[in-house]
Amino acid sequence: MTDTFDDKLDRAARQLAPEISPERDLWPGIAEAIEPAPRRSRWTPMLAQAAAVVLLVGASSGITYVLTAGSGVPDTQISPELVFEQASFGNDYNLGPEFQQARNGLRAELDAEMARLSPEARENIQANLDLIHQAIVEVNAALAEQPDNVVLQQKLLRAYREELTLLRRVGGLTRNVMTRNDI
Amino acid sequence: MAVLLTASSSDYSRTMASASADIIAEEDVLIRRAQRSDARAFEALYRVHVDRVYGLCLRMTGNVSEAEDCTQEAFIQAWNKLDRFRGDSAFSTWLHRIAVNAVLGRMRKSKREQDRIQAVADTRPAALETGDTGELRDLAQAVDRLPEGARHVFVLHAVYGYSHDEAASMLGIATGTSKAQLHRARKLLAQQLEEQGFEA
Repeated sequence: MTDTFDDKLDRAARQLAPEISPERDLWPGIAEAIEPAPRRSRWTPMLAQAAAVVLLVGASSGITYVLTAGSGVPDTQISPELVFEQASFGNDYNLGPEFQQARNGLRAELDAEMARLSPEARENIQANLDLIHQAIVEVNAALAEQPDNVVLQQKLLRAYREELTLLRRVGGLTRNVMTRNDI
Repeated sequence: MAVLLTASSSDYSRTMASASADIIAEEDVLIRRAQRSDARAFEALYRVHVDRVYGLCLRMTGNVSEAEDCTQEAFIQAWNKLDRFRGDSAFSTWLHRIAVNAVLGRMRKSKREQDRIQAVADTRPAALETGDTGELRDLAQAVDRLPEGARHVFVLHAVYGYSHDEAASMLGIATGTSKAQLHRARKLLAQQLEEQGFEA
């Protein structure tokens, strides 16, 4: 009885349609998923990283200069001048020339202002700048892996903004130098 | 007459063999092009294989929405893994393995989320979408109601003709388990279908 039924069952199972057309075309969803990402210059993440490195080295040099200038330690004249590479990250943000120019100006004034500050104040500022620079380096490293990650782009933008805000505060500057389009 | 029939039959076989070889050769060309990131070639492969992959997903999941998602997932994964396809097995078999994995992955995810699609009110049962009629529809509906493990083995073995070894390998289970699940599936189907006077 069971064998007979199994035979019938197997026969019927083989008659079930193995090919069934989906009710809708599934290709558009697949095409969207496999569509290659827009070609990005492989230099983009490298430039972003280079910008962060230049930023970090430049800022550190400037801070070292300021700290040593007012501490009675024999002066070692280290140029605090920063050079910024043109850098971009993602599709919407660029470190434009206006940003670089404004930042260079702020840096120059910062050095003069820092020399007048107490060692404690300078230390505090340096710690803050170090934190911001570290964040910039880390976010840039993450962006090298995921250049189109909007959250990371926004974090980097925020870090640059915080740095400029800090520079302005120290220098007592009020220039409106930075817009979203510049960065 | 017998000679003519023999000659005709032989010609027919040769023609079919030639056509089959042409299809395989054409598929090989499409695969090589798709392996070089030619999305249009991959779309052609999709058009050739989608009905069988979707059919497998539909019968394994028992649900239209799940089957659509699994089919898309399978082809996306196939695209991503295409450079690893060496032609050791037929492309369709390779694709089926990926589809089975997509189904199993999705079911595991559904379990984790306590969100089995069958429990969702607005889903459509697969048996109404398969094109099966009469008693075959009864059978398809009964297959849909089988427990997951039994259903998977029954679909792969009884409907798609995979051996127990092949089905077990695809499902990541032992061959003995595949046999046990088939036995269980037959028993449960018998209980369901004999009450309906099933006569295949």
